[in-house]
Amino acid sequence: MARREEKLRCTKEPYIEDVGPRRIKSIRFSTLSGEEIKKLAEVQVWNNRIYGADLRPVQNGLLDPRMGAANKAGICATCHGNFTECPGHFGYLKLTLPVFNVGFFNSILNILKCICKACGRILLAENDRKMYLKKMRNPKADISMKNALMKKIRDRCKISVCPWCGSKNGVVKKARASLAIAHDFSRSVDGSIEEVRTALSHIKAKSSFQVVHILSPVTVLSLFKRMPEEDCELLNISDRPEKFIVTSIAVPPVSVRPSVFVDAGKSSNEDSITSILKNIINTNSILREDLEGAAPPFKCLDCWAHLQIQVVEYVNSEAPSVPDSKHRGLVQRLKGKQGRFRGNLSGKRVEFTGRTVISPDPNLKITEVAIPVLMAKKLTYPERVSAHNIEKLRQRICNGPDKYPGANFILLPDGTRQHLRYVDKKTAASELKYGFTVERHLEDGDVVLFNRQPSLHRMSIMCHRARIMPWRTLRFNESVCNPYNADFDGDEMNLHVPQTEEARTEALMLMGVQNNLCTPKNGEILVASTQDFLTSSFLITRKDTFYDRASFSLMCSYMGDAMESVDLPTPAIIKPIELWTGKQLFSVLVRPNARTRVFLNLMVKEKIYTKSETMCPSDGFVYFRNSELICGQIGKTTLGNGNKDGLFSVLLRDYNSHAAASCMNRLAKLSARWIGNHGFSIGIDDVQPGEHLNQEKKRKIDDGYKECHDLISSYSKGELTLQPGCNAAQTLELKITGVLNEIRATAGNVCMKELHWRNSPLIMSQCGSKGSPINISQMVACVGQQSVGGRRAPNGFIDRTLPHFPINSKTPAAKGFVANSFYTGLTATEFFFHTMGGREGLVDTAVKTAETGYMSRRLMKGLEDLSLYYDQTVRNASGGVVQFLYGDDGMDPAKMEGRNGIPLNLDQLFMKIMATCPPRGSDMLSPMEVSEILKDRLEKYKSPEGGFSEFFKDLLTKFVDNRVNLFKETRKALKLDENHVARKDSSVLENVAANISGITSRQLQVFLDTCISRYQSKKVEAGASIGAIGAQSIGEPGTQMTLKTFHFAGVASMNVTLGVPRIKEIINASKNISTPIITATLQRDDNVVVAKIVRSSMEKTVLGEVSKSFKIVLMSSRPYISIKLDMDLIKSLHIDVSAESVRHSILNHPKLKLKPEHIHTICNDKLKISPPDADRKKLQFELHTLKGMLPKVIVKGIPTVQRVVINEKQGKFQLLVEGTNLLAVMGTEGIDGTKTKSNHIMEVQHTLGIEAARRCIINEIDETMKGHGMSIDIRHMMLLADLMTYKGEVLGITRFGISKMKESVLMLASFEKTAEHLFNASYSGRDDQIEGVSECIIMGIPMQLGTGILKVRQRVEKLPELKYEPDPIIS
Amino acid sequence: MVELLFEDIFILTRLDPDGKKFDKVSRIEAQSEQFDMYMQLDVNTEIYPLHVGDKFAMVLAPTLSLDGTPDTGYFMQGGRRSLADKFEYVMHGKLYKVSAEASAEPNVKVEIYASFGGLLMMLKGDPSNAAHLEMDQRLFLLIRKV
Repeated sequence: MARREEKLRCTKEPYIEDVGPRRIKSIRFSTLSGEEIKKLAEVQVWNNRIYGADLRPVQNGLLDPRMGAANKAGICATCHGNFTECPGHFGYLKLTLPVFNVGFFNSILNILKCICKACGRILLAENDRKMYLKKMRNPKADISMKNALMKKIRDRCKISVCPWCGSKNGVVKKARASLAIAHDFSRSVDGSIEEVRTALSHIKAKSSFQVVHILSPVTVLSLFKRMPEEDCELLNISDRPEKFIVTSIAVPPVSVRPSVFVDAGKSSNEDSITSILKNIINTNSILREDLEGAAPPFKCLDCWAHLQIQVVEYVNSEAPSVPDSKHRGLVQRLKGKQGRFRGNLSGKRVEFTGRTVISPDPNLKITEVAIPVLMAKKLTYPERVSAHNIEKLRQRICNGPDKYPGANFILLPDGTRQHLRYVDKKTAASELKYGFTVERHLEDGDVVLFNRQPSLHRMSIMCHRARIMPWRTLRFNESVCNPYNADFDGDEMNLHVPQTEEARTEALMLMGVQNNLCTPKNGEILVASTQDFLTSSFLITRKDTFYDRASFSLMCSYMGDAMESVDLPTPAIIKPIELWTGKQLFSVLVRPNARTRVFLNLMVKEKIYTKSETMCPSDGFVYFRNSELICGQIGKTTLGNGNKDGLFSVLLRDYNSHAAASCMNRLAKLSARWIGNHGFSIGIDDVQPGEHLNQEKKRKIDDGYKECHDLISSYSKGELTLQPGCNAAQTLELKITGVLNEIRATAGNVCMKELHWRNSPLIMSQCGSKGSPINISQMVACVGQQSVGGRRAPNGFIDRTLPHFPINSKTPAAKGFVANSFYTGLTATEFFFHTMGGREGLVDTAVKTAETGYMSRRLMKGLEDLSLYYDQTVRNASGGVVQFLYGDDGMDPAKMEGRNGIPLNLDQLFMKIMATCPPRGSDMLSPMEVSEILKDRLEKYKSPEGGFSEFFKDLLTKFVDNRVNLFKETRKALKLDENHVARKDSSVLENVAANISGITSRQLQVFLDTCISRYQSKKVEAGASIGAIGAQSIGEPGTQMTLKTFHFAGVASMNVTLGVPRIKEIINASKNISTPIITATLQRDDNVVVAKIVRSSMEKTVLGEVSKSFKIVLMSSRPYISIKLDMDLIKSLHIDVSAESVRHSILNHPKLKLKPEHIHTICNDKLKISPPDADRKKLQFELHTLKGMLPKVIVKGIPTVQRVVINEKQGKFQLLVEGTNLLAVMGTEGIDGTKTKSNHIMEVQHTLGIEAARRCIINEIDETMKGHGMSIDIRHMMLLADLMTYKGEVLGITRFGISKMKESVLMLASFEKTAEHLFNASYSGRDDQIEGVSECIIMGIPMQLGTGILKVRQRVEKLPELKYEPDPIIS
Repeated sequence: MVELLFEDIFILTRLDPDGKKFDKVSRIEAQSEQFDMYMQLDVNTEIYPLHVGDKFAMVLAPTLSLDGTPDTGYFMQGGRRSLADKFEYVMHGKLYKVSAEASAEPNVKVEIYASFGGLLMMLKGDPSNAAHLEMDQRLFLLIRKV
């Protein structure tokens, strides 16, 4: 701040060099010594009074006006600025005695461990010291290496005698008192202590000699002061270590710790910092007085300890040494969600925002949002006055701030700001000049950002065009509900108004709704028709909807706002009366007039599809040909979201977003208006079951109950045939569950068949707008089995669910089967079971939101700075390469058309080309020619850039080959020459063949051209922040996953964790996962006996399982234990166990300390074990413990393997190994090690290496997501896996992993453990580059990715070459 | 004179082979007499009821004008004389697919598919009958009971 007092007064303004715009490039963290604090401060604070009697801050008090303006009325005494101008100034507080800084306490301790407590030098021999110093000074060493080195040095410094001064050094550790350091000699004492003790024995008879010294801050300070610079460097201290000890406290400016008057100025409410500092001043002065007044030493020490605690509280009020503090220390201000880092630096409060309830309006375009007039009057946009808008803006100024299309402020070029309420509007309007800026009210067409929390992916905030409308809600087209995940049950949404033209353009281009129709998660369309739109489309396109001329024309006019022309098609039925079908209406909707050059071609199977393609009897095959709906009743698959070959996706890919958006607009208008007239409601008669259904249901339930009863009785008799890997109870549960599910399914099927087609729930479930067949059958037929935790209702009472049922009852009704429907009503017990299931769902949602939220945050922090560079590499902010080519082909996941991330949907594209390029009399190509043209074409695009990926090339070739074969087959069937094609008009058959599957050269050429050009346009653009997109794409589906799900890995009873817990395990890179499973392939996989032999060689077999008997034989001479093996069992289990091998196993057992001479094999199946020599008294016990332990000796198998299950898949056998130790499984005889997989990432890393671990991460995430029916582009998972492995070891996305991946202190501080990272950074004097996303946001600098990747370079004139010799004399 | 694409007399063999799914529309199966063609056709039975055993003449024509001028696709005012005058039920639509029947029979059959605003027709028979038909051709289907 300019100091007005000291400002030099000159006749001319002094010349100040214009240094141009400056950008913070890096921040250095450091510590301040007492002296430096003093120099920086404006005032010494020593007065413990805050306000004087006149209610003004006292001089040298904590609110001294020299430390800045305290409130809006105050003026800074140092710079004379007011509250907004003065940034505040520091004061200082001199401590009488030094104290430790808690933040550095551990560092101080570590330093003390490494230095001599007498001379302050490092406890390393000279050559060691030199070696380590060299290593430490290595310019290539990064932070993690330096930290590791420091640790190594610390380990080396455990010498008890200082090599420099020869004095003794004990062990330094934290003293029992919380914040003190003890120097303990007890370990390093030799005989000398005894010597001393005897020498001193005469003083006191019972004296305990002190071997532990307390190192006070003063001693530590003096030690640190003695440390030479080089030693500091060895310990990675950038500055002097004495700074870690507090001698002066910097008192922060008044403005950061405001003081508030309460009770009409009688008393004041002080900030925590102020009150802590006040306490410190008090204690400090008491301590000084005590010292000066020569108070007893213990009192001084007490006071000093008190001071120490208060200084600790000032820094960190939650430190363990501070007993329940009521204040917030400095650390508390920084850390946590509401702290400075996350609450104020990473996310800031903004102006020009609005928020209200949302409601739907199908008459709006999908790109629009209706804003209430009330809101529009407050939200403004600063429009610059120019020749084009001066009249409009004059009008606005005349209207003023209260009349709607008005304005609030005028900004003059000199910076003054006029509020239109306080100036004369007429004169202001007439005085308006070019170059002024008018903050006018929001008007139609203005660019606004629209957002709903939780913002899980980038489509949660999109850019709309404003439509100012009456009433009080924000309104938008229902088609846009999906990306926001909004409904209208009282949701609120936020609105932001960008304030510059640049911001508007960028928002429109990057965040515009029309540019975000697809999700980058997998390229599926997200903005699409929902609910009523689907229902009405479904009803309109029914085969038996016919309209006469009047109603058809009326409906055509519903589509638009009477602005578009519509070409009425020829009626489908001309005679006996003219009738149009609903499908023709849809053709009009897609292509209203001939001028709209949209030729939609598409084939989709709807939910109701049954058979024989277009001729499907229930009309479920949707076929559009050149924008004409040929057949099919349209439902969710065609119009809805989450599909790649629906109508809107095809429009978007084949044409552009405008085509798709305008079609959506038309559909929304038509549907809403049509269904408003048609009516669609639901009533009690919709869920009344018919007589037939009731009988059928009763029969089914009776049959099912009987079946369950039979199962239970056979179970209680023990006659149940077990399923592989299950015990009897599990088998029973599985079978009963199967039967009960069957009941509901069949009841549901009958019910679906019985319902009339006009039944509203049926219509909704068929077209996919809401509800599923299960929902309907629950209402009409039978609610079905209630489950808790994936099982039938658990026992809440002793051996039964409710006291109504007999003990141990396993009947369907006693275990939560609800036979009634919602229509008939549930019985009391059924209702109770239903609430059990319901509660589980509620708890689940509550728990998973928190879990997935945290997961998303971690993923985002881990991946935020990954972006694509111009060389197609994926790098982090500091330029480290994470991937050389994004996703192995550099394609944008949002633009992928095919399934599984394939760039193009060739079938669809080919169909489109065939339909839009009619042969028009040109001749067909022969199969040979087609192949040749393709080859030529691919030849041309060979180079890696501008070419295809190998994968795609193969795909294309295969596709064309298929087409060629098809043509060949057709010709063969028509008995034409397969390879030579005659002219089309030469014969009837030739013509027919051409119609069926011929390709003309023009068609093939257009097809290949489109493939190539479209493929090229699907590459990711440089600068794309694919890291953030990837994080969102993995985090967002997490919120939709149910928390605890298991699924069977092939066999029942082999459960694999799925859902959020599994994803968490994977991205945390957990060492212990809940269900490790190794999938082992057998070398001979067609023989079940081989599989059994291999299984038994792996499965853990203990001695107890294969023995017939353990007997203690008490004989007079020597008692022993005799073991008899069950050889028949051993044979039937195919295990290779004999007495000799058992002897070996017993000998190798770690806990049984038996020697070879104690065990004797008597014969092949008998062993004799005598206990080791012991007291005869203890012999009995010895024998019994031995007998207890022997059955647990593992005689065969891998100890870490719990279970091995044989899995049969199409006649091939496979082993599923539950447990760890991949290496041992791979090494087992009969296992094909090269085809053996594990789901344990860390183990794969240890066993097979980092690349295998990467592959494993990708596969596991993919599998987990697939288990929940979610498709995520593999490129996102690749990126995540690459990030987790690119450092050479698997790093989890946790605070430990992230701190190893990233260097930036600010980023880490804004993530977790804020204070720790900051203290460590200042310990080692870190220089933090501002380049990553978090850092840039914190510093308020545009970041280096996305549009920020562009940098302007200036071409510099070539510098004259310097000559190193004088000019030649004669040239 | 207008050149007809196909002309034959059919006998209705079955109504709604897969069960009645729609109130106003029925799918009929019919067998022709002359060329032994098999046909499936969706007919609006509400306005033109048909029954099993009915015999009807069916004609496919590219245009309704008697002089053979191609169809413009636009609505013509007034009761001009046309081909439709002789028929009771007339539909307008488009041929969208030609395929060979997937069977190992020696005489392969051709299937011709047309859609009349969602009312579908499938005509199966000898390839020679499909000589004049082209993909995406506009068709008028005319029926008269005999």
